[in-house]
Amino acid sequence: MKKSAPPPRPSRPPTGVSVTPSKGPESKEVTRVGDLLRTKRIIVCCGAGGVGKTTTAAALSLAAARAGRRVLVLTIDPSKRLAETLGVSRNPPEPVAVPAERQLLAGIKAPATLEAWMLDHKLVADSAVRRLTKTPEEAERVLNNRVYQQISTMVAGMHEYTAMEALHRLVNAGRYDLVVLDTPPSRHALDFLEAPRRLSRLIDTRALSAFLPRSDSLVARAASKLIERILGAVFGEDFASEFVAFISMFSGIFQSLNVDVNTMRTFLSGPDVAFLLVSSPAPTTLAEAHFFQDKTREFGLPFRGFVLNRSRALNATKAFPDSSQLRGLEGNPDAATALRGMEKLQAMAKTELEWANRDLALLRDLETRAGENATAIALPELPQGADDMGTLISVADVLAAS
Amino acid sequence: MPLDSLFKKRIVLITGKGGVGRSIVTAALARAADRRGVRPLVCEIGDDPADYSPLARYFGRDRLPVACEELEAGIRGVVLLARTGQELFLRTALHSSTLARAALGSDALRRLLSAGPSFREMGVFFQLLNYLKQTRPDGEPEFPLILVDMPATGHTLSLTGLPDLLLRLMPRGPIAAALREGQSYLNDPERAAAWVVTLPETLPVSEALELLDGLARTAMPIGGVIVNRIPADPFTAAERTALKPLFIEHDVLGAEGFRRPDLAARETARLRAGTRLPIYSLPELPHTGLLEALASEIDRTRRARPSMRP
Repeated sequence: MKKSAPPPRPSRPPTGVSVTPSKGPESKEVTRVGDLLRTKRIIVCCGAGGVGKTTTAAALSLAAARAGRRVLVLTIDPSKRLAETLGVSRNPPEPVAVPAERQLLAGIKAPATLEAWMLDHKLVADSAVRRLTKTPEEAERVLNNRVYQQISTMVAGMHEYTAMEALHRLVNAGRYDLVVLDTPPSRHALDFLEAPRRLSRLIDTRALSAFLPRSDSLVARAASKLIERILGAVFGEDFASEFVAFISMFSGIFQSLNVDVNTMRTFLSGPDVAFLLVSSPAPTTLAEAHFFQDKTREFGLPFRGFVLNRSRALNATKAFPDSSQLRGLEGNPDAATALRGMEKLQAMAKTELEWANRDLALLRDLETRAGENATAIALPELPQGADDMGTLISVADVLAAS
Repeated sequence: MPLDSLFKKRIVLITGKGGVGRSIVTAALARAADRRGVRPLVCEIGDDPADYSPLARYFGRDRLPVACEELEAGIRGVVLLARTGQELFLRTALHSSTLARAALGSDALRRLLSAGPSFREMGVFFQLLNYLKQTRPDGEPEFPLILVDMPATGHTLSLTGLPDLLLRLMPRGPIAAALREGQSYLNDPERAAAWVVTLPETLPVSEALELLDGLARTAMPIGGVIVNRIPADPFTAAERTALKPLFIEHDVLGAEGFRRPDLAARETARLRAGTRLPIYSLPELPHTGLLEALASEIDRTRRARPSMRP
């Protein structure tokens, strides 16, 4: 661990049933998910769409709040029901506490608290404009620009940028011990980190100045004349001039953003941060895990573990069904039916055991891949979803004990 | 059967949340199309030509080609890259090739195109339009059926909502003309459809219903819903009744499989109650040989009815 790391807090003995098969005495305590959620200040959940990333982020935050911390979960695109459970279905402009009775039910005791916020890109972009402009009049001018209103959220990287922006601001606000970030859905787990770079390339001042009519040098003037012609020919004259107005209004704001993108990279590589990859068992899971590890290393980000969601690995320890478990077979005219059903159930059990063993093997592979500074854990498949408080608590318990 | 209409379109967007089997459904539909004598083009939207592609995997490749190529007999494929479409468009719109070269050589413009508002979606849009417009010497379309494996819900909505949005901003000019031409395909129920792929489970069904709501607010015609991985139910009603008490006392292997058909039936019913669109079900099949099994399944349901071909 680096020197700048905070003094380690006393770790509590894990409770509940651990789902990670023991790694032996050489495994380091700091890599356990249960410890990460008790000690880190930021946990970033990455993963492809549809793997249960949002649910995992919600359960992680719940577990941390149950462990006595002040926690905020920044969620993106939660299911309607999860949004209701967290109390953010009405899309509040600022983070809100999960309803008191639900916190009580979840065993969260003050000063610990669980707050949630659903990231709305337009809202975050608007608030960034207000903060970064010099006067309220200038802010209004930008917010009223038609180009801004219609397509500001379609600027590539904007979703990812707004997520990072909100994270940075809320972590520094000092109200929370831990902020858990659910990243925008994407095919690639780390698009979240790549996309703002595209944005920062665009907002490089030199590139932008070419679109503005007021360049000083002859060469620059010639270049912007050319671009003006191209924009005119492509967009039509009306839109081209409106677009140039948009760019010129934004150039100042963009410059401030440019700094932030780099600041945030540094900020996310600190010792208080943990990156987790959430995935589900699929033939591509290992390849994705490998890619993710390489990328986090390339960016210098603290990769701390794999969460294998929807895993059937836990089923491997279940009993096999047999007819002795059926009651009242003797003298029952329907006994033959029950036995026929049992045969079919056993065939099903055989398949489920194969799946369980396959998922268990995948978990072991991920553990090997995780190495010394990271972990790999499995969460069970919950076909009914985990968007109600009761189910979330049970998932949180598994996480806290992992 | 509900899927028949899909094969009569020019462009079909296959959409749905991650993990529902969208890519394999796209690949299976492509094989089924080929067997009907419609030569399909399968596409996906890529950010980078070096990206890993789940769709390409079903054709034994790591990624789809940047220029259209045959992936297997009868099926062509391409990855749609924003840049390719943007270049194509600039060449057409600027007429002068000197100007186009200057534009593409401009660092500032390239940066703008890679991150500027909606330019990436536009690039993909123009590339699709280009494939839709290409004709063979006999006047027939070069690509009679384009199947697009859409990456994520948000992309589908921004691609389908794009023409309206941009036309409000720029009602005239070359982009407007191209957008209108694109709309003539994408908004025409005879020629285009979006199909939503989902699973017979709680969260996926809720998400599919939300996606259908979102799509209904765009001008994109919706073809229907494909419910993937419907579990088989081997038990008779009497066997179910006889086995049920066992699960109260014992947490055994097989219990999940026993319960899943009930859950699937309940969730499919919820889907049916939530939409009037056609719903097509695909069975859950073993992993090995899955693509071929799904393609045959799609083909089999067609042959069960009077067929166009022997």
